[in-house]
Amino acid sequence: MAGPDTEGGPAGLVWRLPVVGLRAFWTPIVLSLGVLVIVLAVWASGDTVLALAVTAALIRAVMVIGLYIFIGNSGVLAFGHATFMMVGAYGVAWLTLRPFNKSFALQLPEFLAAHQYPLLPSAIAAALLAAIVAFVVGIPIMRLSGIAAAIATLAVLGMFKTFYSNWSEWTLGAATMPGIPIYVDMWIALAWVVVALFVAYIYQRSKYGLALRASREDEFAARAAGINIPRQRLIAFVLSAFFMGIGGVLEAHYLGTIAVKNFWLTITFILLAMLIVGGQRSLSGAIVGVVVISTLIEILNSLEAGMNVGVAVLSVPIGAQELTIAGLMIIILVFRPDGIMGGREVPWPFGKAGRIVRDPGAVESEHDPLRRGLAQRDSAP
Amino acid sequence: MMERLARRLRPARPGAAALAVAGTPEDTLEAFDVTVHFEGLAAVDGVSISMRNGEVFGLIGPNGAGKTTLVNVLTGFQRPTRGRVVLGGEDVTGLSAHELGRRGLARTFQAVRLFRDMPVIENLEAAAVGTGLGRREAARRASRILAWMRFAHRADDWADTLPYGEERRVGIGRALAMAPRFVLLDEPAAGLSDAECDELMGLIAEIPHVFGCGVLLIEHNMRVIMGACHRIHVIESGRTVAEGSPEEIQVNPDVLRAYLGTRSGDARG
Repeated sequence: MAGPDTEGGPAGLVWRLPVVGLRAFWTPIVLSLGVLVIVLAVWASGDTVLALAVTAALIRAVMVIGLYIFIGNSGVLAFGHATFMMVGAYGVAWLTLRPFNKSFALQLPEFLAAHQYPLLPSAIAAALLAAIVAFVVGIPIMRLSGIAAAIATLAVLGMFKTFYSNWSEWTLGAATMPGIPIYVDMWIALAWVVVALFVAYIYQRSKYGLALRASREDEFAARAAGINIPRQRLIAFVLSAFFMGIGGVLEAHYLGTIAVKNFWLTITFILLAMLIVGGQRSLSGAIVGVVVISTLIEILNSLEAGMNVGVAVLSVPIGAQELTIAGLMIIILVFRPDGIMGGREVPWPFGKAGRIVRDPGAVESEHDPLRRGLAQRDSAP
Repeated sequence: MMERLARRLRPARPGAAALAVAGTPEDTLEAFDVTVHFEGLAAVDGVSISMRNGEVFGLIGPNGAGKTTLVNVLTGFQRPTRGRVVLGGEDVTGLSAHELGRRGLARTFQAVRLFRDMPVIENLEAAAVGTGLGRREAARRASRILAWMRFAHRADDWADTLPYGEERRVGIGRALAMAPRFVLLDEPAAGLSDAECDELMGLIAEIPHVFGCGVLLIEHNMRVIMGACHRIHVIESGRTVAEGSPEEIQVNPDVLRAYLGTRSGDARG
């Protein structure tokens, strides 16, 4: 039986120049440089408090990119991604807590209880654990569509929250787990943002990302085109969970403590707000959303604490933060539902996209079906 | 300069790239006694068709005759209540739509259903990738098909900015980007102007030899049907009325009665 790949015979007429070099990675390069500029400015200012806030924002950027990989490409909303942050954060705690700390309250198996593993391999292992969890729960959920899928992911978060809250031997239950080594600063968080940006971009340009984006646009047409939608969604879901796991890992090594209650609806809401405000259908939108909302949060934080502006102290009531973010999200949804970036990436500023040129590999031939077809057509009355 | 660069990055590989040809001359698509009941109502009732590689096979009938339902059965979007679908001798009844797509059945939709928030070329690339091609080969095939359709100049335009007639053209290009063994076109000429219809007819007539596949064409426009088809199958109320060459069908009294109702006259419409 002839498969669809048996292209043979002499080559045809034209093809499109592949996008190469700087241009092929323009989006992640520009976004990385943008974030780098912010980080450099804060570093140069020497403001250590602001540096902490920026680190927190960068960690959230990793999470939002993780969220984007799934939601942005599949068009399926997911409310349960905090699950994978939690799995990553606890996973890395088991690996990197000192055995002395572990011996207090945790009852871990020997290979975890007796050792403290190096930081980077632990981070990757913990994120892989999150990805494995996503793979297992994703197999049934990725068959669902629309609101059913969104609710199912929320249910997964609920299950894991209950599970981790009661799994005292491993998680200290609902109590806070302290003593995790603190090493994440602005630069380490930045490095992970850059990694996440490039991986997310390479994925979205890959054949897997392309197939998934097609299914986002039209499920029927995508199926007719041979695209196995549940499988493509699962790939994105697992990759997405890996970076959510990295986000959880960074959070754990940034705060030094983790608690189940921190991986619940508040963070879910903030991350979704960032993605929606920036524009959920482009990587650029994800980053813009993080920058806008994080800046807003920072301003409101200082206002809630009381900001000294010359003669008066400006202050807003506690809770203004959530209200403002929610308000901004509603405004965006009403007036610009595709977010600030409108689903587009940062445009390449130097001219139009790939030209159609004569195929460099083409061997012109009478037997070329394309040429034959064109010749017949041109000679037709 | 860019051209040289591209040549260096992708060394010439003669023979690796012709327009997508997947079918063999003996390839067939058959339906035996296909019946579809919707809550007791028979949308398709015992229809059998058999089409070969290389031919344009017309499927016509009045509105509601069951043409689209039959196409849905052939492409895995509708499970038949009874009957079998056989592709190249292999029973493919009940396979899902994407599995049939991978096996070489492509289709268009009456509602076109482009991937709207993607550029034209990515619409074609996604279909090529869906049937297992790598990213680069998909890009190559997509640009060749666009060039064949005289549509390369719109390659980078967003699909949702196209006028209706061009949308339909991209829909056909997308189906062909799968390098199908059989492509099923569901009313490709609906809503097109006469000039656009003629151009479309030219394209459709070329498809079998440019792509080495068979074409099943559902259409109401008799000019397109009579001009492009080798054989025509007529159904009404889910049942086969007649099958034959355009000349036979045009003078078949059953067809005239079924298709044109009480109106007598010329089936050229």
